[in-house]
Amino acid sequence: MSNFDTIIIGAGHNGLAAATRLAQTGQKVLVLEQGATAGGAIAQSELEPGVFAPRYAHLLMGLGMPEIKTLGLQDHGYTPAVSDMPTIALCPTGRHVVLQGGTVHYADGTPHPDAAAYQTLTKRLTKFAAGIAQISRQAPPALTGGGWRQAVDLGKIGLNMRLQGKDDLREFMRVALSNVYDTVLDEIADGPLAGVLGFDAILGGHMGPRAPGTMLSLLTRMREGAQRSLPKGGMGALAASFTNAAIAAGVEIRCNSTVFEISVTEDRVTGVVLQDGSSLTCGQVLSSLDPKTTMRLSHIRHYDAEMVRRVRHIRTKGAVAKVNLALSEAPKISGLDDSLSAARWVMAPSMDALELGYNGAKYGRLPDDVIFEAVVPSLSDPSITTGNRHVLSAIVQYVPYGLQQGWDSNSNSDLGDRVIAALDKVAPGLADSVTAREVISPQDIEVETGAPGGHWHHGELIADQMLMMRPAPGMERYALPVSGLYLCGASAHPGGDVTALPGLNAANAVLAGLKRKAA
Amino acid sequence: MNKVLKNSPTRQTPVQVPRGLVPTPFHARLEPANITQDWMGWSGFLSARKFQSVESEYFAIRNQATLFDLSPMHKYRIEGPDALTVVNRLLTRDVRKLKDNRVGYAVWCDEDGSTIDDGTIFRFTDTHFRLCCQEPQYTWLCDVAWGFDVTLTDESETVVGLSMQGPTSYSVLKAAGFEGTEGMKPFDIHHFDDGIMISRTGFTGDLGYELWADAEAALPLYDRLMSAGKELGLRPIGYDALNMARIEAGFMVTGVEFQSIHHALRPTRGRTPFDLGLDRLVHFDKGHFNGRRALLQAKEKGPRYALVALEIDGNKPAHQALVYHKGKTEAGLITSALWSPICKRNLALAMLKAPYGIDITADLKVEIYHDKEGKYDRAMVPAKIVDRPFFNNPRRAATPPALC
Amino acid sequence: MANQYDAIVVGAGHNGLTAGCYLARAGLKTLIVEKNDWIGGAAVSRELHPGWTYSNCSYVCSLLRPEVARDLDLGRHGLQVTPYEGGLSFMENGDYFGYYADHDALRREIKRHSPRDADAYDRFSRFVLQQCRFIRPLLLRSPPDPVRMRPRDIQELLYLLKRFHDLGPRQMADTLRFYTASVADFLDEFFECEILKAHLAGSGIIGTGLGVYSPGTAYVLLHHYMGEVDGSIGAWGFSRGGMGGVSQSLAAAFKEAGGEIRAGNGIEKFLCREGKVVGVALDNGDEITAKTVVSNMDVRRTFLNHVEDGTLSDDFVKAVKRFKIRGSSAKLNIALDGMPDFPSLPKGTILTQGDMHASQSLDELEQAYDEWKAGRWSKDPYFDMLIPSLIDPTLAAPGKHMMTVFVQYAPYELANGESWDGPNRDAMAESVISKIAKYSPNFRDLIVHKEVRSPWDIEREVGLTEGNIFQGELTFDQLLFNRPVPGYAQYRSPIKGLYMCGSSTHPGGGVMAAPGANAAREILSDLGRGQRAA
Repeated sequence: MSNFDTIIIGAGHNGLAAATRLAQTGQKVLVLEQGATAGGAIAQSELEPGVFAPRYAHLLMGLGMPEIKTLGLQDHGYTPAVSDMPTIALCPTGRHVVLQGGTVHYADGTPHPDAAAYQTLTKRLTKFAAGIAQISRQAPPALTGGGWRQAVDLGKIGLNMRLQGKDDLREFMRVALSNVYDTVLDEIADGPLAGVLGFDAILGGHMGPRAPGTMLSLLTRMREGAQRSLPKGGMGALAASFTNAAIAAGVEIRCNSTVFEISVTEDRVTGVVLQDGSSLTCGQVLSSLDPKTTMRLSHIRHYDAEMVRRVRHIRTKGAVAKVNLALSEAPKISGLDDSLSAARWVMAPSMDALELGYNGAKYGRLPDDVIFEAVVPSLSDPSITTGNRHVLSAIVQYVPYGLQQGWDSNSNSDLGDRVIAALDKVAPGLADSVTAREVISPQDIEVETGAPGGHWHHGELIADQMLMMRPAPGMERYALPVSGLYLCGASAHPGGDVTALPGLNAANAVLAGLKRKAA
Repeated sequence: MNKVLKNSPTRQTPVQVPRGLVPTPFHARLEPANITQDWMGWSGFLSARKFQSVESEYFAIRNQATLFDLSPMHKYRIEGPDALTVVNRLLTRDVRKLKDNRVGYAVWCDEDGSTIDDGTIFRFTDTHFRLCCQEPQYTWLCDVAWGFDVTLTDESETVVGLSMQGPTSYSVLKAAGFEGTEGMKPFDIHHFDDGIMISRTGFTGDLGYELWADAEAALPLYDRLMSAGKELGLRPIGYDALNMARIEAGFMVTGVEFQSIHHALRPTRGRTPFDLGLDRLVHFDKGHFNGRRALLQAKEKGPRYALVALEIDGNKPAHQALVYHKGKTEAGLITSALWSPICKRNLALAMLKAPYGIDITADLKVEIYHDKEGKYDRAMVPAKIVDRPFFNNPRRAATPPALC
Repeated sequence: MANQYDAIVVGAGHNGLTAGCYLARAGLKTLIVEKNDWIGGAAVSRELHPGWTYSNCSYVCSLLRPEVARDLDLGRHGLQVTPYEGGLSFMENGDYFGYYADHDALRREIKRHSPRDADAYDRFSRFVLQQCRFIRPLLLRSPPDPVRMRPRDIQELLYLLKRFHDLGPRQMADTLRFYTASVADFLDEFFECEILKAHLAGSGIIGTGLGVYSPGTAYVLLHHYMGEVDGSIGAWGFSRGGMGGVSQSLAAAFKEAGGEIRAGNGIEKFLCREGKVVGVALDNGDEITAKTVVSNMDVRRTFLNHVEDGTLSDDFVKAVKRFKIRGSSAKLNIALDGMPDFPSLPKGTILTQGDMHASQSLDELEQAYDEWKAGRWSKDPYFDMLIPSLIDPTLAAPGKHMMTVFVQYAPYELANGESWDGPNRDAMAESVISKIAKYSPNFRDLIVHKEVRSPWDIEREVGLTEGNIFQGELTFDQLLFNRPVPGYAQYRSPIKGLYMCGSSTHPGGGVMAAPGANAAREILSDLGRGQRAA
């Protein structure tokens, strides 16, 4: 029997971030991880001996400087290998578009007709995104009882937007509620360039670009300026820096520890019971699991039926699979300068192609025309492979969790074949250079990480499941009704992606709660 | 997309659900007995308002014995290993303390502690219960039971009920051959070999029983009781007489004394059990139940309303009247009222807004309008808060009951 | 002097007529000009086959604001709306779902399909009614401008916030979700029964370029529930004499107030001088002057087709072009020689006196939308079918019937630039007719005449851009202060004296008359004649 101030379930980036933050205030913190290693969505897998691939997430875009500093990640091995990575908008006809440092041109160097419009649009969107970034760094506004402090905070955000000019504020209020399809196509013609913007909005979600609300999803994601980076040493190194930062702050991490039950006595959390039967006591439990699982672990009988109903209806249909390939040689995209191979490749030929891709996912079909984002991290960071080999990591969008024929080794390999064939089209010869591959279906993601439905965000990240509706009304400020129990994972505001924000916000909610209690 | 409609010649004639009010399984007997043909709708069923006259039926409750068709009540069977947990999760009272084969009066609340409905919970064993109530609750029960190992069955149409109330009701039971009922205390349940179940419960504050049977057994049961009760004054009664006895007994009715939060459009219309004076039915020490956290807060803040019993001067029933404090400040509303023939008093139930009825209990007046042949006469009639029930006769609880 | 007026309303649709009524009653010499030979816009009754009168565009009534009907005394002017008794969905397994207006019957019917959903329906109705209570008072108010923040805007914003706050935390959260969720997700929270969901989901997509799984369609459902028939909120009814009855009653009220209608000539352009409107030029060359001109046309038509180039700023023109008005619906009006047999329905059922559908599932509805996205009309469409002549004897001879079938989806632009006129229109009609015929063996034989209206037809005849029935999508980026153009949501335009009163403005489409009434209030406030606009 050991006693902790706080026990955190799950050693993903959010769990570790929350742990570090709490340990920094002097708390005795234990993180329990079901898997053999810490890292969760930023874990890596060894594809073949000496070839490491990011198992789930493969790029960083929302990890902000304030969070990096708070956690001290830089002191524990985190350095970006590439920051502001270029994006190649792949075109099936070979007219790829290069997006680099805010500029746009065709891969052959000719100017893109929508370059100016694209720049104006992204500049405006980046401004809007920065304007609302603050909302992500705190608990969402409360519907009641927020008090004057919240009103002042929200007022400040409103005033900031207003000070940027009437026209911008008007445009923000229209665009924020709009869909990415129309907002983008109002300005630029449909094609790979528009496709990339659409892709960035819907990535990880079970939604098409026409869905109203997708602009809010995109803006939330652009809060750090829409730049992508690759950590040096791969995602595994990032996971290590999260882990080391936590350990340095005094956090204890126990892997291979599955929580069987969250103990509740007299409506307050008292500890956890592990699968092996041992019990641990603590004052608070933070769960990086989704609310449904967290409720089950702490037992449904402690929750009002309405809250259970709301949680039951959180949409968690995952639509993303992961395909990792070990390659015997560096892939070469036809028509693209070799120096750009190390970029982010996005295959989203048009908004319409995206919307069509979503159709398949809606009805549980595998995609015919695969939409994906791929990176070859070994090109910019040779340290992650040995022997001149390469690793390609692809996030495949619109792969339904509820596949009609069910997920098994056949459907996994079918998906792998489709992805390799699609890659081979833009990078001829790639198929022949594949020496090993792994296909991780949404169902695999669910089993391995506990993400419900294999959903990247542990719950669809779109207007009706954002802010005070995330993950469900009544638990939007991290605390669950059982006192001492909190959510700290992607299901909580502001949602998934490697941002550490849900974890840090949850930790702050814990600290605020303790302060209130002490007062 | 060319789906072909299965249009085989064997297709059955289209089903049509009944429209309008439908008869209960007792209707074949009640219809000819109803001299007035004064019917009303109750949960979609035909229910008698009266059979002969309200007065005679009312006095039958207090003098002899009466039968009231309870079949339109909603009845749900809750069965399975988690039944006790689910029932305790649903209700505010602790059902662990209820013994097997006992009935308990209960209320249940939403997450904000507002009352959804009241009713009776029949505990047969810790894995088998029946909930009996006014409003349909099946979907709500499904929500409450989600994640638990129980089976929910809506028995509203398969189980019928007769309420036999009045001083001679025990004698009728005896005459009808229901042996073993002499030892039944109030809220006891007794099962019989032929599938009939009797509970010593009722809505009149008098000696009485409720008899439950499968729908097929409805008419034989009715005949058996009526023939046994022939010399004991047993007669069917309608809702109007029952309602008089109900007010005298001080019982509340959902939708009359308060609005179910599941029907209220305005969030402020919710009433906690404390507002209804049902503190004794809220057991915080049993672990979590629906609305517990909100009720703890409500308990701390004190009730916002008070359901009170009023005795009003004069003899004009104060239906729907407003209650004033010191003749000018509106304090609440009369929800049920009658001139009680047995208490010989002018009685009412009223919902007062705190602090009236709690800290301020004096100087209340009720605004009563009399229609005097086309001219309304407004009177401010003094009223005082009294204890419930208005009618309290020792025969209600006497065990064994006296034979007549 | 004959061509000089205080106010001209362009377009004699129900909103133009409503605005005209209020202006004329305030003492303005008001003229309404209409391009067609008949008036009513999309609320018309036309005898397109001898003996049969069609409500050939809009076909049922609920949203018409009771305040407007009372203000303008429309009852005395002939308006009569009879609520319908039910509705139904045909099922492919030979069964049907009956949507009875009677609560007990509906409860039994839902229970027949799903015991669990019977009480859930009560919860659903209460929820929708709560939302209606919130939104209905907003319909006859002008939206605030949250950017300009003049005292009236601040006052209106505070009013909105207070109403929202008064809902209490639960209903506030519910409201936020209702305005952002898809109709499918919204219904999933209440029901498990597929046919019930499919039956109700239609309200979320009618007239809309969105599918049942698209966020924002729950609001469209609300938009169809916030009306009433004589106090029964959410009820729909038939206007006696067809929907033209609504327009005729408005026209009668307008004429009684001294208004004048000129039908038969549309406008060529709005005449503007130094940023002010001075009148209109008709397509026959007539010029009519007035200091106040109100356009009942949609915002695109008004500013892109009828205002001289260079009058408006580029930003405004761009914003207008950006306003989404998407054709997504078609219509069949059918003259029937008798009442069709529906063998799967009980004999003598009252359910045929309401809206009839044949969509089996949410997926089926969504697939119909997928085709629209791809520029094809739905092969397996959603339809909203009614036979108003069952209760309105003025529409067809005894024993004969008029059937109106609203069809969703039909895109304005067909894939590959194909034309709607000709084979495509016929094929679209056939897909609808064959779907109906699946449930009625003698239906085809009873057809005496039919009028098929593609989005092109609706646009050409009524003047609704792309044939969109709401004069603009009801997505949340196009509602309230964003409708139709941010900064111009209070019925005024950049041209002084030129106002908008069509469904492109708040609160949007449907035969509601609220935009017309709101626009008139703003105009009269500018002229110092009315109460200050709220």
